[in-house]
Amino acid sequence: MNALPRIFASPVARRLAAEKGLDLASLAGSGPHGRIVKADVETAKSKPLSAPTISGQTEAIPNTTLRKTIAKRLTESKQTIPHFYLSVDLDIDQLLDLREKLNQRAEGFKLSVNDFIIKASAKALRQIPAANASWTEDATIRYADVDISVAVAAPGGLVTPIIRKADTKTVAQISAEMKVLAEKAKAGKLMPEDYQGGGFTISNLGMYGIKSFSAIINPPQACILAVGAGEKRPVVKDDALGIATICTVTLSVDHRAVDGVVGAEFLAAFKKLIEDPLGLLL
Amino acid sequence: MSEQAFDLVVIGGGPGGYVAAIRAAQLGMKVSVVERAHLGGICLNWGCIPTKALLRSAEVFRLMQHADAFGLSAVSPAFALDKVVARSRAVAAQLQAGVKHLLKKNKVTVVEGHGKLAGKGQVAVEGGSTLSAKHVIIATGARAKVVPGLEPDGELVWTYKEAMTPKVFPKSLIVVGSGAIGIEFASFYQALGCQVTVIEMMDRVLPVEDEEISALARKAFEQQGMKILTSASVKGLKKGKDQVTVSVETGGGTSDITAERVLVAIGVSPNIENIGLEETGVALEKGRIKTDAMMRTNVTGIYAIGDVTAPPWLAHKASHEGVICVEAIAGLNPHPLHPRSIPGCTYAHPQVASVGLTEKMAREAGHEVKVGRFPAMGNGKAIALGETDGLVKTIFDAKSGELLGAHMIGPEVTEMIQGYCIARTLETTEAELMQTVFPHPTVSEMMHEAVLDAWGRAIHF
Repeated sequence: MNALPRIFASPVARRLAAEKGLDLASLAGSGPHGRIVKADVETAKSKPLSAPTISGQTEAIPNTTLRKTIAKRLTESKQTIPHFYLSVDLDIDQLLDLREKLNQRAEGFKLSVNDFIIKASAKALRQIPAANASWTEDATIRYADVDISVAVAAPGGLVTPIIRKADTKTVAQISAEMKVLAEKAKAGKLMPEDYQGGGFTISNLGMYGIKSFSAIINPPQACILAVGAGEKRPVVKDDALGIATICTVTLSVDHRAVDGVVGAEFLAAFKKLIEDPLGLLL
Repeated sequence: MSEQAFDLVVIGGGPGGYVAAIRAAQLGMKVSVVERAHLGGICLNWGCIPTKALLRSAEVFRLMQHADAFGLSAVSPAFALDKVVARSRAVAAQLQAGVKHLLKKNKVTVVEGHGKLAGKGQVAVEGGSTLSAKHVIIATGARAKVVPGLEPDGELVWTYKEAMTPKVFPKSLIVVGSGAIGIEFASFYQALGCQVTVIEMMDRVLPVEDEEISALARKAFEQQGMKILTSASVKGLKKGKDQVTVSVETGGGTSDITAERVLVAIGVSPNIENIGLEETGVALEKGRIKTDAMMRTNVTGIYAIGDVTAPPWLAHKASHEGVICVEAIAGLNPHPLHPRSIPGCTYAHPQVASVGLTEKMAREAGHEVKVGRFPAMGNGKAIALGETDGLVKTIFDAKSGELLGAHMIGPEVTEMIQGYCIARTLETTEAELMQTVFPHPTVSEMMHEAVLDAWGRAIHF
């Protein structure tokens, strides 16, 4: 016999749940010994009767604490923060050139496009400090330091270790730090001080060929930059059709803390730094 | 001045305070109770308990007078007032000793004297030591409410205290206020042969009860010879020699009523004075200490329970608040007390008991209701007892089947209301109550039938 586990619920709760089309098994009981009482049913109006029907063979992967935290924070972010999105195309041919030359000379390091993007973001934030901010009910907080969180895919889910004071570091320093942090992230060895804080996040899916995307803001920060793949595209230069390596970036912005113009100013500053990359070496 | 340190000091040893103290001791706290008068408080010494002893005497007296109806004979039943009062005092004394023993058994330190908050975590006992405590519960209770013009004098104008210990039995008595306290004394004095007149400001007696129950109670009291004036207010009071004339205003004008004594039972006032509330900044609301569901005041470490807080002012509410308060302090997760699940009882003849919403309140709250009634006349045991004045009334939410309220008048209803209280706590619907087997023959079968009747299924009526 396939006995279902007994659900402890008060008779009134059972009847109300049946009326509202709620599945008692989906409710958490607040009564003695976890008994489901009337109040639990009344506060759980929105849950559907049963989970969507899943056919075929399935596997239930228990949610880790990290997975649950990601779910909670991102749901909260997307539901409570008024996002808006700004996209801009970057011509990265010069940047790729510069990177090539630097990597040829380099000893012991290999700079990635992302290292330049971190540096450019940091410099742009220093120029447009209003974008380096957080919304709170009483005040909009502006950060004195430019600390950049960088999204890294770890085995258990997304983590965002931080390059602190990135505007004051060289691209090579950023690159070296990023390597250490990414390794720690992949090994699940990040310490709280590695990922707690940060004023701005970069999420780069370019290496997977993603053309462009819009990221969910990483609260309490106000901005996240989603970086797509650099690809050769036809472009119009000086009224003639040409070819350039273009990378599309999209800035997701918390409109409570940062207005459209500030977001646009940031992207303009960022674009200038990327397209004239020697400045990043200063 | 010595100083002793405790985890918890409770100011007031009534049914709120001493229960809180015992629960705290069970949870491993070092506890002290500061009591200025008697352990057990008003309830045990001057309220619930001694009045029940008096009313028991009245009940036996009434049965003796009606011995004939039971095939018995009692030749000119009489009472000795001093012995009736002495029995009541003895009952209170016995229970007071019991509380003392319980506190000792639980290693609670009892300090005699008037306790007062004296700064953070300090309770000063008048003329004695200062106790230091991590947590302080104020359980100072309440006293009879006094209004200008009706000040009790202890001789002609009584509070419950004088009414409980009369030296001479008055031939006539005016009771101002028809809440549980007023009605119980009215019932006691009327049963022993006093002419009682009840004056009530509202339009019915026992105004917190269901309207139908109030009407039945009034009818029963009037049949016993009690005079009842409703929508009536006392305008003045003139004291004479061994008598008082009260000027009463009703819709029909003002009239004078004279009686030997007047009992003022118009409610209670919280004991908030001279306990250090002002100095510590404990917030009040409507003259009572404001608390949250876990009995915390606005000041960290200071709590309040019972009559000094919000209504209803009942001993069993105070006790539950004491337990909730202490368990929350201990980091447990007590469930808050739902005001609509606190029963109220009046031990008059007939008895009245209720829990939850009245029919009117339920309708006003927007419930679609199903109402069931069952009269004592249809109950075999009630007929055998010779107590056929009575009604059980149930009010259900028609949709959910939740028992919203239950109202009873008649024999043993104060002992039976807990059945409906359990039903409310367990959130039963009418179905579980219908499925429950009630023993036959009992008065409690009325409770079953009143549930069945709400769905038109009563068997015996």
